[in-house]
Amino acid sequence: MDSFAGFVSLSLVKATPLVFAALAGTICERAGILNIALEGALTVGAFAAVAVSFATGSPVLGLFAAVLAGIALCALLGIAATRFGVDQIVAGTGLNLLAAGGTAFGLVVVFGQPGASPEVHALGAGGEKALIVAAFVAAFVLQAVLDRTPWGLRVRACGENPRAVRSAGVDPRRVRVTATVVAGALAGIGGAFLSLGELDIYSDGMTAGRGFIALAAVIFGRWTPLGAAGAALAFGALSALQFVLQRAGVPSELMQALPYLAALAALTGIVGRARAPAADGVPLDERPAHIGRMAKGSVENRGD
Amino acid sequence: MTARMRPFAGPVTGAVALIVVAAAAMLLAGASPIAGFAALLRGALGGPHQVSETLVQTTSLLFPSLAVAFAFRAGLFNIGAEGQLVMGGLCAGLAGAALAVPGWVAIPLILFAGAAGGAAWGGVAGVLRARFGGNEVIATLMLNIIAALLANYLVVGPLHAPDATGAETSELPRSSWLPLLLPDSRLSVALLFGIALAVSLAYVFRSTAFGYALRAAGDAPEAARRAGIDLRRTALVAMALSGAIAGFGGATIVAGVLHRFNVALSPGYGFIAIAVALVGGLDPLWILVASFAFGILQSGSLSMQAYAHVPKDVVTFVEGLAILALATRRFVAPRTAGT
Repeated sequence: MDSFAGFVSLSLVKATPLVFAALAGTICERAGILNIALEGALTVGAFAAVAVSFATGSPVLGLFAAVLAGIALCALLGIAATRFGVDQIVAGTGLNLLAAGGTAFGLVVVFGQPGASPEVHALGAGGEKALIVAAFVAAFVLQAVLDRTPWGLRVRACGENPRAVRSAGVDPRRVRVTATVVAGALAGIGGAFLSLGELDIYSDGMTAGRGFIALAAVIFGRWTPLGAAGAALAFGALSALQFVLQRAGVPSELMQALPYLAALAALTGIVGRARAPAADGVPLDERPAHIGRMAKGSVENRGD
Repeated sequence: MTARMRPFAGPVTGAVALIVVAAAAMLLAGASPIAGFAALLRGALGGPHQVSETLVQTTSLLFPSLAVAFAFRAGLFNIGAEGQLVMGGLCAGLAGAALAVPGWVAIPLILFAGAAGGAAWGGVAGVLRARFGGNEVIATLMLNIIAALLANYLVVGPLHAPDATGAETSELPRSSWLPLLLPDSRLSVALLFGIALAVSLAYVFRSTAFGYALRAAGDAPEAARRAGIDLRRTALVAMALSGAIAGFGGATIVAGVLHRFNVALSPGYGFIAIAVALVGGLDPLWILVASFAFGILQSGSLSMQAYAHVPKDVVTFVEGLAILALATRRFVAPRTAGT
């Protein structure tokens, strides 16, 4: 990575899965679902893409499979949280274990070997570029949808005050589940980019915490699609920079830790005030904190 | 407390369902479920050596599970037991390798260092929550990864030990090892510490004003606040103590099992602990039982893989499923408003 152009292109490659996952996280949180399972969604997406490309020889079908796998995992969270009274956070943690265990098991069942898959037909340089462009297009589209469409308004309302949504005759459960479906599709594509775009194999643990970096990007992007995509791009550049700075003697762990440290800093609100959606992570039958709980001593400004 | 839990009905139905799923997964892997379960049980309980290894796993799961339950009871989501365990283990390992004093001095100091490391790590999330209203879920998730990176950086980099072969600290002097319960095993007195802690926590929750304040803050924060309980202080104390419990667990793995800190100290105990805590209904005494059950899964999974050719990851899958099935908010402490 000696040339600037090389650095930019590596940054984009590193940022793309983060952008998809961060957009997925943003849409969920705006609808009131704190999606801890993004890591799992990237994992199943990456795995499904490779498994289907292996079985059919078509990486495009692999990409579709990744979308479906991501949707399945995230919708499970949405449905469990809205219909079965399952706690979002705990369920998300469970789904991450489910995804990690299921894909490690799937490697043995599908490919007959643990650890990593054999090489499969990948999307190629053209496909990789298309997905990079798609990630940023998706950010603009999602921003417009959230800001300017009736559905976007419902999503935002669900994240702020689901009771008002219900009063307006819209079922907030439906809105939240739809948001997780959209998120699952985005995260699935992000996973496919990792396994079939950047590489041509699936290996255990290849998502390497990107789902959690995406959650950090959501906070840093102040819960807007464009902001989250921008933060994801910055984190991508940071991971590209790692290769350069490591040669200059900067510990790679420090570079890797920066997104997470940035997220902690963002939680303090020192880096600039930003407020999470009031009903982010709050079950539908509970009242968001700002309603009826304005007394002092209450937690007024949640970092997320 | 909603999690007073019909102690049997839920878990039994859940366990049967999970066994069915596991059996289906074994069939999918081309193995007979009977052979699979037999190998798992033989590997976990088939002889004195196997039982002692299962109890080692039980001990390793018990501390983070109690930590998770402790925070949950206070209405806080500590997803960071993994990071607190690692930080506890790291501090214990560094203290243990540096201390050249007799065992009866060194061992308490090592365990204290572990608890302090875990408390500091949990405390960061507690401060963010109490002082800034920052979501402890996000904070603990981030702290997990930072802990792993920090530990790796320190033991590979500036604090690299001359006798270390991997990413690990120097070996603890023999006098600093936790005494064994069984000769020729890896089972140390840490198990007794864990049992004592579970019993004490059960007492704290049931019969002390502090335990009451914790539960009140978790179950009915508004009422607790009006009754004069300082929610911020409770959140900070609960996160720090939860971290201390997990960190102490990390120290027992260092002083009792590995005799040094290694970055691969935990195969995800802090996450599996969430399943254990939920299966145990957040009740410290039931968590003892649940830790043993999950200990069987952990220690039997390798033999299941070796002898029945069922990938050991089925266990992780089933653990994830268990969390999903038990995450209904009847079981989990209701969240504090604003969480």
